[in-house]
Amino acid sequence: MPIPIILPKFGFTLETADIVQWLKHDGDSVRAGDPICEVTTDKVNMEVEAPEAGTLFGILYEAGATVPVTEVICYLLRPGEAKPENLPVRSTSAETSPAQPMTTPSSAGEKSAKDVSATPVAQRVAEAAHLDLSRVQGSGPGNRIMRKDVESALAQPPGKVRATPAARHLADQTGVDLMTLAGSGPRGRIQAADVQAVTARQTYIEPIYDTPAAAAVAHDVPTTHSSDSATTELPRKVKLEGMRRTIATRLQKSFQTAPHIFFDAQIDMSGIERLRATLKARSEKVSVTAILVKACAGVLLRHPWLNATIDDETINLWPTANIGVAVALEAGLIVPVVPNAERLAMRAIQSKVDDLATRARANTLKISDMMDGTFTISNLGMYGVDRFTAIINPPQVGILAVGRSVRQFVPDAEDQPVLRSFMTVTLSADHRVVDGAQAAEFLQDLRGVLEEPSLLAW
Amino acid sequence: MREITYAEALREGLRQAMTADPSVFAIGEDIGVYGGAFGVTAGLLNEFGAERIIDTPISEAGIAGACVGAALTGMRPVGEIQFMDFVTLTMEQIVLQAAKVRFMFGGKASVPMVLRTPSGSGTGAAAQHSESLENWFVHVPGLKVVMPSSAYDAKGLLLAAIDDNNPVIFVEHKLLYKTKGHVPEEMYRVPLSQTNVVREGKHVTVVATSVMVSRAVQAAEELAKEGIELEVIDPRTLKPLDDAPIIESVKKTGRALVVHEAVEMGGFGGEIVARIAGSEAFDYLEAPVRRLAGLDIPIPYNRELEYHTVPQVENIVREARKLARGEY
Repeated sequence: MPIPIILPKFGFTLETADIVQWLKHDGDSVRAGDPICEVTTDKVNMEVEAPEAGTLFGILYEAGATVPVTEVICYLLRPGEAKPENLPVRSTSAETSPAQPMTTPSSAGEKSAKDVSATPVAQRVAEAAHLDLSRVQGSGPGNRIMRKDVESALAQPPGKVRATPAARHLADQTGVDLMTLAGSGPRGRIQAADVQAVTARQTYIEPIYDTPAAAAVAHDVPTTHSSDSATTELPRKVKLEGMRRTIATRLQKSFQTAPHIFFDAQIDMSGIERLRATLKARSEKVSVTAILVKACAGVLLRHPWLNATIDDETINLWPTANIGVAVALEAGLIVPVVPNAERLAMRAIQSKVDDLATRARANTLKISDMMDGTFTISNLGMYGVDRFTAIINPPQVGILAVGRSVRQFVPDAEDQPVLRSFMTVTLSADHRVVDGAQAAEFLQDLRGVLEEPSLLAW
Repeated sequence: MREITYAEALREGLRQAMTADPSVFAIGEDIGVYGGAFGVTAGLLNEFGAERIIDTPISEAGIAGACVGAALTGMRPVGEIQFMDFVTLTMEQIVLQAAKVRFMFGGKASVPMVLRTPSGSGTGAAAQHSESLENWFVHVPGLKVVMPSSAYDAKGLLLAAIDDNNPVIFVEHKLLYKTKGHVPEEMYRVPLSQTNVVREGKHVTVVATSVMVSRAVQAAEELAKEGIELEVIDPRTLKPLDDAPIIESVKKTGRALVVHEAVEMGGFGGEIVARIAGSEAFDYLEAPVRRLAGLDIPIPYNRELEYHTVPQVENIVREARKLARGEY
């Protein structure tokens, strides 16, 4: 029986997603975990992966189609399995915008039942209960669906999912929603490997920019040259696929569709340094990143056009500031979110940022930790970077790139040299949404708060 | 190292214990002149005399009672019940007296006795001479239950059981008596409550007892040809049970099969399954934990029916293969 591949429900609130492009095509053979197609929601681009090895066939939606979650989008033939005589058809009529069904839609219900091999009594029981036989795993000869298989499928309470304890444990740790998975075990039971297939590729994370480390984890492509002298001069070739492809596609799209404008500001951090020194003396630690989250959250509410997201039709101005914090990892870069940051005390922000960073490095972030960001902060000050520009994390419209703090002698009111500490921040804003003056006002306001940290209390 | 049989290993252990400690003696039906129904005590009467190798009338209650009484007065008796079926006649002495005396006297008395008895089918001895009743004793607080599966373990566990100050039910197996293994000549002990990983593997954990251990190993060898690696674990002491290696193993394999000869319903396998399901290994399970054990019928006299009443190598192969292939 061909394996149906569904559009995964990547998040709790996700109802539909758009197919961006098919990375594999009818007749392509795929390995388990290979990305099959790229889909996008209003938040992120993700890849749908092959649950196991096989040959792709029966693509039901073209690129551009909007598809309800859990809908079958294509099928996989197991190795050695022949293509069934009846081509699959879509089970529901999704939005047909640019997409036309690739197969002839003819009496959908009957056909799908005949695609699978089932005993007459099993078919009768399934029909009476309106059960889709293609979702039942057969236990008879040649995987034929027997009556007991249908009864066992019907006995499954609604809203319950069949999964091994190991799969449940892993899903709980990684935040994968078991409801979105198709199980490879008996009777469609989800095994740990099915969950691993999702988490191994980290399709749910939001990488922002390129890092050499990320490229290193991609698969090496063997070069055709084998002589030693030749290979020393040839580049090591790394195929653009998986997470790397996602990063590439997203960043290219962001930089090409959002007209970026950049604004530098040099901010006097002396007040912040005193604040941190005071806290340090009391054995409390607060990081520059946490302070920036707090400061930006407060300031953003006064500058709603920067605390916004944009899709094709609409600009969404958010009433709360969900601040994404870029965290560098071996495999790339991810942006967990501090939600409702304007409502949190500094101490709460600090512990939230620490918790997110720790879990990001342990690879245990949940998709909910990455959802609904309205603005992003990327701090590379600890690497000694003076200043840099960042590419906007779509669908947001602003990102703040933060450099290191440098001590400088500057003239005071009497033109006497005083030692101050300065940090350069660079705001990237999407000019479709944000005007230059708005960005400048935001930075001015941010500078005011950071140079007078008592304002953070407000 | 020299190879001797399971029965010879037991005899050597008993001989060494009796030589080393004059308070150790053996008592049972036909153990003296006849040398024991399975030859375990053959020749010991000549070595130690009729005071220490005691032939009794056909009275299992008498053997057990004599053991309990002697143990209470400071001796270390090793009783033999000719067939495990007849432990039924010892139950009052073992369950109500031996198991409880130490507790009811606040530790002022102890019952350092061993009750040896052969269990199991496969000899065509029919329903009253083939039972595996080890779990009856597992259910009684105050008893220890040991089931050696090899000649090496038989000697080492017998010596450890004789050393122990608690009543130990020592369950041998008729089909194992003639199996050979490497057995050191010195007087070594295999500590009680120490589970043994007999063979390492990564796909399915097979917990087996007594004669099922060697059957599980044979099954593992067959399945290894298909690339399926069984991890075979022998608890050796059923009570008190050392379950940590079992739980660790299941955490590694995610799949477990428990095999014993005794009837499945109410058998020791249920205890193992419950330990796995109630432990941290639960989070690592990739399939239901399965049992393979005796059918819920008296052992038939007909050899063909007898064969099919308890797990054989081919049953273990089939069951473990299904688990490994994800068919459960």
